[in-house]
Amino acid sequence: MTACHVETRIWNRIAEVASVAEIVSEFCAKHDLPEQFLVALGVSLDEALSNIIRYAYGDARDHSILVRLDYEPGSVGATVEDDGRPFDPLSAPALDLTSPTRDRGFGIHFIRHLMDEVRYVRQGGINRLNMRKKIV
Amino acid sequence: MDVIEQLAGSVTILEPRGRIDSVTAKEFGERVINLLNIGRHQLVIDLNSISYISSAGFRQLLIAKKSTLEKRGKLALCGISGEVKRLFDIGAFDELLPVYSTREESIASMQ
Repeated sequence: MTACHVETRIWNRIAEVASVAEIVSEFCAKHDLPEQFLVALGVSLDEALSNIIRYAYGDARDHSILVRLDYEPGSVGATVEDDGRPFDPLSAPALDLTSPTRDRGFGIHFIRHLMDEVRYVRQGGINRLNMRKKIV
Repeated sequence: MDVIEQLAGSVTILEPRGRIDSVTAKEFGERVINLLNIGRHQLVIDLNSISYISSAGFRQLLIAKKSTLEKRGKLALCGISGEVKRLFDIGAFDELLPVYSTREESIASMQ
């Protein structure tokens, strides 16, 4: 199958993330991807989007967040673009799995372990996070 | 997210279906707290019908454990396999949460 992508925009409200989960489900079904891709894309996008919605904005205004899923031979990707304050999730320290009181930082930890490649760039006032998973 | 609720003696079994993510986690957490508040202190959460749990969902499971302990009750999780098991492994959640192999073992752990 040749490369193709699907794109949507959501508002910065947690309830909006449900529509992204549905798009992930349709995308995985369309490309006949195994369960692990639904989980990797679904969880990673939930973590990235909920983080942006909770922490990226210092005002009470509506902000639109772009979500793009792409398929190409050999890999699938998820890209998120927001106009919130600059934040590189990759700068977060690694989660200490030996700490019995750990209760924070699981989100980026999941993204790092579920996806094969994660890239962040800040450009023109926009945070862009691209996460890719290989199809082997 | 739908949650099937059953009773086995004094034990309440919750079987959530679908995703426990940033959208549904709060509702699920409130369901657990409501049960504890009406005196149902022995809870089994069967995750067999869950497709995935994100960090928001795991946070609610950790809160459920803490709240159950505060009520001197008992919590047990079961039905963890496949991709959900992988998520538990990635976060080493089986060290933080009371995980059992089967529903029967979970119920037996309440005695």
